[in-house]
Amino acid sequence: MPGFLAALVLVATGCSGPANRPAERGSGSPAAAPASGAFPVTITDDDGIAVTMKSPPQRIVTFAPSNTEIVFALGLGARLVGVSGRFDDYPPAARKIDEIGGAGDFGVDPNIEKVVALQPDLMLAISGGEQWKDRLRELGIPVFTINATGFDDLVHDIRTVGRLTGATVAAEQLASKMQEQERTIVGDLSSEPRVTCFFEAFYPPLTTVGPDTFIADLLAKAGCDSVSASAKTDYPEWSVEDLVKENPSVYLVSSESGASPAAVAARPGFDAVDAVAHGDVVPVNSDLVSRPGPRVVLGLRALAEALHPDAFP
Amino acid sequence: MIAPKRYGAVIVALAAVLLAALLLGVAVGAVWIPPVQVAKLLAWKLGLIRHPDVPRASEIILFQLRLPRVVLAALVGAALAVSGMVFQGLFRNPLADPAIIGVSSGAALGAIIVIVVAGADAMGGLGVPIAAFVGALLTALVVYRLARIGPVVHVATLLLAGVAMAALISSALSLLMSFSGEQIRNIYFWLLGGLSARGWSSITDVTPPILLGVVAAATMRHDMNLVVLGEERAAQLGVELERFKRRSIAVGALLAASAVSVAGVIGFVGLMTPHVLRLIVGADHRRLMPAVLLAGPTLLILADLAARTAIAPEELPVGAVTALLGGPFFLFLLRRQRPDARA
Repeated sequence: MPGFLAALVLVATGCSGPANRPAERGSGSPAAAPASGAFPVTITDDDGIAVTMKSPPQRIVTFAPSNTEIVFALGLGARLVGVSGRFDDYPPAARKIDEIGGAGDFGVDPNIEKVVALQPDLMLAISGGEQWKDRLRELGIPVFTINATGFDDLVHDIRTVGRLTGATVAAEQLASKMQEQERTIVGDLSSEPRVTCFFEAFYPPLTTVGPDTFIADLLAKAGCDSVSASAKTDYPEWSVEDLVKENPSVYLVSSESGASPAAVAARPGFDAVDAVAHGDVVPVNSDLVSRPGPRVVLGLRALAEALHPDAFP
Repeated sequence: MIAPKRYGAVIVALAAVLLAALLLGVAVGAVWIPPVQVAKLLAWKLGLIRHPDVPRASEIILFQLRLPRVVLAALVGAALAVSGMVFQGLFRNPLADPAIIGVSSGAALGAIIVIVVAGADAMGGLGVPIAAFVGALLTALVVYRLARIGPVVHVATLLLAGVAMAALISSALSLLMSFSGEQIRNIYFWLLGGLSARGWSSITDVTPPILLGVVAAATMRHDMNLVVLGEERAAQLGVELERFKRRSIAVGALLAASAVSVAGVIGFVGLMTPHVLRLIVGADHRRLMPAVLLAGPTLLILADLAARTAIAPEELPVGAVTALLGGPFFLFLLRRQRPDARA
């Protein structure tokens, strides 16, 4: 599910936002053993729940497209028996797996019966949905929640999932590769001046991202000083007046918003923004920046190129 | 009923407050523009002075963002308030409101179906407002049919049918939200209501239907007075009751749908404005309507001002603000009114 959409739903259903994030994360020491891990393993998840795996899970259900991508990237695709829904579209093999989502008041909760029927020995979830998580735990299904707050946290989460599933070697390889790619991109930008940017998550109303979101972390790494860095919520409606006043030099449009540069320029008042007047309105593939998964390095690279075209000839 | 002299004073006061709200709405926003700049720009626009030396951003914010938003708030406020007055007059019940009898949500449902199926630009942008009107009218007609027993429509059954219809539509909307995937945020916007993201083109689009509705309502104010006395007496005094009811429903639906098509569902304006003013100027629609036309815009301009400045540069949905302001105030009025059951 797209990031801000998930957040909207979480807010609407009164589930936990970043405020509920446990301060302490991951109980275990850094994955020292590169072997296929030590079982049983007990790890505290981002909801503060201690989850114990007696042996490597053989039937995994994911709830969030980002988790699906992580599981596949760790080479565990064959063990995946359920995914959240039609947004679990990468890699293409994910489309063929049973879908468990679509229940609840907003159609964004997992269908408990379906999950139980799949007999999973691990469910990998993201933040929110305390009620159905409790229900699944009562039914004996371990639910492990990861909530990546930024790139570094995501890399940590990938290593954690590796320990939990016994795929420590693959996780270490993936995590180091992502860190290396991130360092290269950030290094390429080291001599570049920072630019002001605005990220449009949705329109109308003009909706952007707050400083505590995953996207905001990528934007910062890509050398952007975001107009909405002062926002108090994660997906705030933003004043167009303020956009005109702050006058960002790059205007990023998420593919979820789907507005073309011409459509952006045609909106009332937007032609007063330098980025719009100079044609620096850049579409961004939301799947690459809002899904905390292995592909965020591609998203980071795309953002860096959009913000600093001269640094990437 | 108040004396004519006092009524005149009330109208002058309401007009003054509206003017003040308009000026305040234009002068204050998420971005601070010095009042001198605002005054110079307005004077220039009125042809009084040459183009002033002010930042271009100030000019754009004032004329492309703030002024159309304030004008649209005024138009939508007027449409909702008059729609509420028409429905309250028809049902002889101060609780009748485009939202309560399901008409606003019917309009939103129509609009959302078109958005989900064909996109917001369906039929060159005409698809959504037409669907909103069809949705509002169908809802009002279904409610009317449901409530009609024999040759007459009883007010109690009409209100009950309206409540049932509103519940039905809201479940249809929940269902649509489940199936809509990425459109969910779009639906959310329609349901919460908002005046952002609208420019002068929305104003030119929505002015004709609102004007038509207001003029039609004005021609009906004498009949409304007679119907207030009771359906039987109104019929004896020459009101063609069924025709009057059909016209009221069409006019109320047109105004509510016009408002919904540019601003989503905004509650409480249609409920509060006529209700409060009836307490002040009396139930005579010849006196009530001018007052409603002045107060509705004021209320929505101020509510939107709060929505766009309270947590600036973030914004609140204006529908949440009207509910926040309107809910407690309305409860207070109901409570105060209880001892002497006027209105």
